[in-house]
Amino acid sequence: MLLLAIVAITTLAANGARQLRYMAVAFFGVALAAHLIDDGGLSAARIVVTSGAALVASAILYIAARDRRFGEDPGWRLWIATIVAAATTAAAFVYLRPATGDEISLDLLGPDPSGVTTEVAAFWLLSSGIAILLTARGAVRGSLGALLMLTGTQLLVGLVPGPHLALTLLLSWLQIVVALAGAFLIVNQRAAREA
Amino acid sequence: MIEVIALLGLAALFAFGVRKRLALVGTVTLAALAVAIAFVIALPAGAAGEVLDLPWRMSELGRLAAVVLLGTLCLLVLAVWVDEPAYNFFPTALVVAASVLAVLVLTTPIAIYAALLLGLLVPVGSFTFQVHRNRSAEAAYRHFSFVALGGCLGMAALALSASLGRDQPSATFVLLLVILVVAFALKLAAIPFHTHAALLASEVPASALALYFGVLVPTTFIAFAQILLLSGLLPAIVQIGKVQDLLLALGIASALGGAFLATGSTELRRVAVYSVIANLGQALVGIATLSGPGIIGAMAIALVTGMAATQQLLAVGTLERRAGADRPSATTAPLAALAFVVGGFAMIGAPPLVAFPGHFFVELIAYSYAGWMGTALVIATLGILLAQLRAAMAIFRTAPDHWRVERKPIAGIVGALVFAALLIGGVQPDGFLRPIAAFADEFLRALHPL
Repeated sequence: MLLLAIVAITTLAANGARQLRYMAVAFFGVALAAHLIDDGGLSAARIVVTSGAALVASAILYIAARDRRFGEDPGWRLWIATIVAAATTAAAFVYLRPATGDEISLDLLGPDPSGVTTEVAAFWLLSSGIAILLTARGAVRGSLGALLMLTGTQLLVGLVPGPHLALTLLLSWLQIVVALAGAFLIVNQRAAREA
Repeated sequence: MIEVIALLGLAALFAFGVRKRLALVGTVTLAALAVAIAFVIALPAGAAGEVLDLPWRMSELGRLAAVVLLGTLCLLVLAVWVDEPAYNFFPTALVVAASVLAVLVLTTPIAIYAALLLGLLVPVGSFTFQVHRNRSAEAAYRHFSFVALGGCLGMAALALSASLGRDQPSATFVLLLVILVVAFALKLAAIPFHTHAALLASEVPASALALYFGVLVPTTFIAFAQILLLSGLLPAIVQIGKVQDLLLALGIASALGGAFLATGSTELRRVAVYSVIANLGQALVGIATLSGPGIIGAMAIALVTGMAATQQLLAVGTLERRAGADRPSATTAPLAALAFVVGGFAMIGAPPLVAFPGHFFVELIAYSYAGWMGTALVIATLGILLAQLRAAMAIFRTAPDHWRVERKPIAGIVGALVFAALLIGGVQPDGFLRPIAAFADEFLRALHPL
């Protein structure tokens, strides 16, 4: 539960940041907290791979900013994104949570083998990402939205039985490619704007 | 198989390092693609294995699609190398080749999806050019947004459906399947999710456009069919008619809308792109009928349309470059103009090209499904025919005193090669349709498991 709260707060921080560099640091916080949520299937290899990829993705965005001030003012988009994300997370949890009939017990610090914390975090990240991506004016917030959505997707994929390490590696590569493509677009849009 | 994908990945890294040395990067790219094609052909049918517990299998359809798509990539690389040097294109083509192979051989739906997204995101680098003078950066950003949105939504829906038990309420599966279908519609630029494709069509280089519509869009369509097959969601689609209706609606909207937009377009590249969207609409209808002929027709249309799109878009690129500020005309590049016109035959599914059986099967099964649906598809084909005729007349409006073949007629050569391949396929359709029929057989078995 504590990690879920950290995910929520750091997502808001990333969403509300005006500077790309703060956004990149906040995203690393989001990804790290999200990947540390223990749903019973947590392994050292998975944490190392996912955290490493998140660090690289954040570093790519940090470098793409080139200076401390560069970014995109979210303005009213921050509030729209937050309200939409909160409402969608609740709706997604109601409609898409497996109907197992098991009792849900949540602990503030301990692991959550029921997967509820992971699912809520995933739905929150996905809906925040969608809201940010749909309201973004350019590649700065667009990249953040895409990375948040992908982090949420990674959490859901972690709940699927199957080849975890291979899927983790594949999605981590995808995260780096998303960050690279986002950084490339940020640099190009900036060049076009400053011309 | 992992060795070939790794080879393509390493070749891409090398190509990126030497991307400004055109002779070297062109040779390395073509050699790596040729090795990959040779390996795919030499691999025994049904070869399978595992990488980090991730299973892979070379199906008959996978082999056919790999040869067609990698072959198309070879032609594209050749055209860019000779006629339109674009440094970023070579490493991009190699990464796309690796992604295409991974999509075609992997058998875990989420892994297929992730490989597809990698392939769809990489061309962002080749979409942008001279960003101060055009809107290519905006077009590339819109493509990025659509792929990220559709990709993450679709993969999340797949992951959720895989982690849920089959005893869930049907509303849950309807929601997940609708998300999955919409996610693919975003990536396939199906109407009404085609706005990014419209911007791409007018702003990005023709070769990058050909890479997207000639290789990546057909790969996305094949991935969609494979994911439906492997995810175990097909029985749910049969039981819940709403998803099938959604697929049919998207297909018909794309077929008619694409044809309508193509008819109204005055730019050659838009005619080609909207013709692709219309054909993919027909292919979506084919899949949605959940019938053998429909599935065979759909996959055949997707593959042939990719080849025709490559042929037409490369020709458009040459015509535009030769014309400069004027309207593209056959007087400046007659062979490229001819390649564009010939590509139109494949777009409309004219016999004796191998494009014909796909269109025939889908339209036939659409008629047996509902008379109005078959009529809608025939109207869509007539719309594409009209658009292609208008485009051909616009190119050949003025005739010079004597025709002179353009310098470096690579678009014409590529057009001739694609036409020859489609003609051979049309004369010997068995070799092209049998692997697709094997896939359709698997698909139908998965629809009604014992």
